[in-house]
Amino acid sequence: MIELRNVQKKFGSRLAVDDLTLTVPRGEIFGLLGHNGAGKSTAIGMMLGQVWPTRGAVKVCGHDVASQRALALHKVGAIFETPAFYDYLSGWRNLEILSHYTAPTAPQRIREVVDWVGLTGREQSKVKTYSHGMRARLALAQALLPGPELLILDEPGNGLDPEGIAEMRQTIGRLHRELGLTILLSSHQLNEVEQLCTRIAVLQQGRKVFEGSVAETKRRTQWVRLRVNDFGRATRTLTDAALISGHRDGVGVELVIGVETDQLVRRLVEQGIAVYEIARESETLERFYLSVMNEQRLEKQ
Amino acid sequence: MVSRFANGNRDLAIMFYLQLRNELWKLFGKKRTYIGFGAFVVAQLGMLWAFQSERGQRSFERVLAGNGYGVTEYLSALTVAMVMLMPQAKLLMLLYTTLVGGDLVAKESEDGTLRMILSRPISRVRLLFVKWVAGCMFSVLLVVVLGICALAVARMLFPWKSMFVFSPGVAFSVLSAGDGLRHYLLAHVFMGMNACVMFSIAFLFSCLNIKPAAATIVALTIMIVSLVMEAIPAFNAYEDWLVTHHFDRWLLAFQSPVPWAQLFQSEIILLGFATSCFVIGCTAFQVRDIKS
Repeated sequence: MIELRNVQKKFGSRLAVDDLTLTVPRGEIFGLLGHNGAGKSTAIGMMLGQVWPTRGAVKVCGHDVASQRALALHKVGAIFETPAFYDYLSGWRNLEILSHYTAPTAPQRIREVVDWVGLTGREQSKVKTYSHGMRARLALAQALLPGPELLILDEPGNGLDPEGIAEMRQTIGRLHRELGLTILLSSHQLNEVEQLCTRIAVLQQGRKVFEGSVAETKRRTQWVRLRVNDFGRATRTLTDAALISGHRDGVGVELVIGVETDQLVRRLVEQGIAVYEIARESETLERFYLSVMNEQRLEKQ
Repeated sequence: MVSRFANGNRDLAIMFYLQLRNELWKLFGKKRTYIGFGAFVVAQLGMLWAFQSERGQRSFERVLAGNGYGVTEYLSALTVAMVMLMPQAKLLMLLYTTLVGGDLVAKESEDGTLRMILSRPISRVRLLFVKWVAGCMFSVLLVVVLGICALAVARMLFPWKSMFVFSPGVAFSVLSAGDGLRHYLLAHVFMGMNACVMFSIAFLFSCLNIKPAAATIVALTIMIVSLVMEAIPAFNAYEDWLVTHHFDRWLLAFQSPVPWAQLFQSEIILLGFATSCFVIGCTAFQVRDIKS
């Protein structure tokens, strides 16, 4: 659906995106992660033909964005961090205006989309009277009007309260399930990305430092969560038996490679230590992201 | 093949109509768009009040008498409308067309709506063309309202009689009421072109990566500098190069017979000026990166 090949973008002498190659396959929810200024929005700008690449090629829906922009964006919807509207006009009028930049849109279609996003009853009110959540719904409605196959979401949860974020997450899930959309999601909210995305790419200072499935980022670690009646005595016992190589926070122990959790339990029970809970820890996306970032920083030093 | 071509053209025309309607909704949905219309009416009422005063009327009577014309015959609605129109066409129209022209693209860029539009499959040139046409429609409407209001306001206090037009170095005419009205209408066609050019200069700067106020100020500065240069005798030899010199040509429409060749020469120059502004603006906009 989206293909970036060796894309570079310079703003003056500043390199915003450097040799970025990225593929978003049809049907995926693809997460684009990175710190502020990592080049996520610039990459999205290039996908939408708003920012011209200094070098490289960008294809969307099989069409080159630079030379066939109209074809490339015909089935694309986009939502930005702070969706801007004509506040002095009604929500309905805003939808009419924005949709007509793609194709003539029947009122029936607008009604359907307004209903889908849950704005029915407020569509004739001026946008300046809308809450933040309603503006987010309106942004979603304008993105859905052209009947897109690809949805590009540039930090859509920014500025939303926890309820709004949860609603946005559910909506993105629904879009994927019910409408079968391919979704590119740029976000700082790693928890959301972890729950929604199937694949991710991590950008750092304009360069891609990781691309892979979310499952890959959650590979099993050697860390085990352990709740016992005496954590200090338990770690001493397990260290002496060469079963663990480290411990942290009063609940975590790191297994020596090759050791399984049943060996830990047997040893502890033999020593008269009560075991209340033991479970392998899987890596969270947040921990994975931070470790990738740290690795890159260390490499640069 | 032919029918597919015809269908394609019809689709283009429908899209153009819808997009132009969008621009007009956006333009006329804003309260600030109406400032110009309001200002014209207020200024005209103020001028009428000043004209009504003994001092204001006396100075005009002196001009008429000095040229051998009777006050009773020529102090009419049409004459007073023209007296009100001339400074407004030069100053207020300039201000309000550049205000709208400076806003049209730069304000959307500043507000972030431009980014929303340009995530759609509309080309930048097409978007600008639609905006430019909408802006020109606004400019023409401003001229129409200016002309109608000037005449309506003047008619409230002055009778419908012969017309006297006097603009030093450009026009000196006495016309019957019927002829005067015809020439008055004709002059508005050329004034409409002036308004479109004023708007186009500001539109050019609005396409650049600058604030809306800056676009308006730069456009105003260019035209004020042109006005100042026009007033300096040293630049008389170069007046054809000054855009404001051609703005004054609308007054030639009051001469009898109308000097069509001279008038059209200026109109073609103004048309070229407006087109050049659009093309330069488009080129700059096309290569620009649109960022949040």
